[in-house]
Amino acid sequence: MSDRVIHVEELVREYPMGGEKVLALRGLTLSIRRNEYVAIMGPSGSGKSTLMNLLGCLDTPSGGDYWLNGQEVSRLTDDALARVRNKEIGFVFQTFNLLPRASALHNVELPLVYAGVGSRERRERAVRALTRVGLQNRMHHRPNELSGGQRQRVAIARALVNEPSLLLADEPTGNLDSTTSEEIMRVFSELHAQGQTIVVVTHEPSIAAHAERVVVLRDGKLDSDTRNRAAA
Amino acid sequence: MILRNLDEGIGIALDSLRTNKLRSALTILGVVIGVATVMAMASIVEGVRTQIFNAMNTASPNTFYVVRFFSQTPLNPQHLPYEVRIRPPVNDRDAEAIRRMPEVEHAALWVQVFYRLEYQGVQTQTVLIYGADQRYMDVLGGTLLRGRFFAPGELDGEPVAVLEVESADRLFGRIDPIGKRIRIGGVAMTVIGLYQRPENMFEPPGQQIGAIIPFETARRNYPYDETNGLFISIKPHEGIPVTRAKDLSIAALRRARSLRPGMPNTFDIITQDQILDTISSLTSAFFGVMVALSSVALLVGGIGVMAIMMVSVTDRTREIGLRKAMGATRQEILWQFLVEAATLTLLGGLIGIVVGLLVGVVLKQLMDMQSGVPLWSALMATVVSILIGLVFGLYPANRAARMDPVEALRHE
Repeated sequence: MSDRVIHVEELVREYPMGGEKVLALRGLTLSIRRNEYVAIMGPSGSGKSTLMNLLGCLDTPSGGDYWLNGQEVSRLTDDALARVRNKEIGFVFQTFNLLPRASALHNVELPLVYAGVGSRERRERAVRALTRVGLQNRMHHRPNELSGGQRQRVAIARALVNEPSLLLADEPTGNLDSTTSEEIMRVFSELHAQGQTIVVVTHEPSIAAHAERVVVLRDGKLDSDTRNRAAA
Repeated sequence: MILRNLDEGIGIALDSLRTNKLRSALTILGVVIGVATVMAMASIVEGVRTQIFNAMNTASPNTFYVVRFFSQTPLNPQHLPYEVRIRPPVNDRDAEAIRRMPEVEHAALWVQVFYRLEYQGVQTQTVLIYGADQRYMDVLGGTLLRGRFFAPGELDGEPVAVLEVESADRLFGRIDPIGKRIRIGGVAMTVIGLYQRPENMFEPPGQQIGAIIPFETARRNYPYDETNGLFISIKPHEGIPVTRAKDLSIAALRRARSLRPGMPNTFDIITQDQILDTISSLTSAFFGVMVALSSVALLVGGIGVMAIMMVSVTDRTREIGLRKAMGATRQEILWQFLVEAATLTLLGGLIGIVVGLLVGVVLKQLMDMQSGVPLWSALMATVVSILIGLVFGLYPANRAARMDPVEALRHE
């Protein structure tokens, strides 16, 4: 039980749309264990973005339950969810979402600011996280002085700096060329090898191939849940 | 938690200031103007007050006056209210009754009128002319620079005048004025002396002393106003408190005017403290009006800040979404934007303080006044500008704080 980082049960999310309700998720049940590397796939409209928002505690479900690291988080207040995100989840976005005017180092420090970590410790931990993704020589560069791949690695360092129990990546290679994508996926694989639990939302099979498990959604429900033997 | 993230908040604020220099400058202009106005006014008012207090301390702190009726603004002699009309004007017998008291060094009936001085076609502005007695300088201070003051024999209406040195300079330039015949309000007078008023003596604008002439001379030659112009000036002996001298004078005047107990006084007494209070309340009123006017500028400035913060919040929707994803609570986002708004207005306030002080210095130079250092108003202005940022930043900041992270992250 304690081995499960994520457990969702009968998860439902509906959106009001012009007086009617649209069901984006219709009762999804899913568990992800510690140190699993899972790709979530599905065509657009399948509910994978909705699931990603729910798993990331950015949104709350209309029905069903969500245990994150043993804690029931499906009915928490906004601020309590913010605390959970800060502590448990590291986000990697398709568009990087770095603060354009801040150095790589300061970008990585951001989650620690909201965790209330003092500035010296913040700096130390940010340096360590940037070193982990191989950017120790680019710490004082601004995002516009970095390549796309380097920017995404800054974002990964930022996601890792709080030592979250879940690394959640939403189309992390969507804005990158294939060489750089491979480079980023290698970073994910290394992190996975070091014990990180990773969930990647993608629509590209080549990216999903790096994961050890692929979950496919269709019409807001689980379509398939398979293991990739190729990936380790 | 709020203090711990203050550095982050200020850092963000300065960042966004740097990126939008022109926009920020325009935003804080209203605050700059408002604060500058208040500061300039404060420094002038402070200067005037310092001047008044100095004057009261050096010129004649114990002198006080008896008038027909004391009002903070001059009364229209054509339309005196009933409570003034029933009172007799102050007169020689009143002055005599007070002068006889052992506690009083000197008391005399004086009159003030306003005329231009003229010498061979050169005119001064309208100045204050005192009709007084030979002991004028004992009572109100000042020094005789040249010539002499009235002799007792000249008090019954001789056309002689002691000129104030600034007016004399204007009329005569480098010519020696003693013995020259000038015209005061068209009446010929001989200049017998040059007098310098005490340093720091306070004179309201338009009431510079121009000349002193014998009381009788003034009474015969000029129409004067029995309510606003005629008064008894009283100087108690050294060591007699003003309040005691005042009480004794009231008693003496009531006897002289045969007022029975229970009847109200038919005169008013004005002490320097009262004059000080009056001037003080006038300057306060003036200052209040200026503050009210400049607070309109502050209001406009505050609305500008609000508008620009709304734009800033919309511009940075994604950033807000990101910060929320990273774990920022509502309160932290709210605080971030409040700090940003307050940093903007504080900056505007600081610039306004400097500009206002400069304007104050220039105005003081032009108006030949003393300077006061209005530290309290600088502090007030700083606090007020921070408050403006907090108040007007609240609505936009709250909007940012309430954003839904999913929506915000999706924002283009």
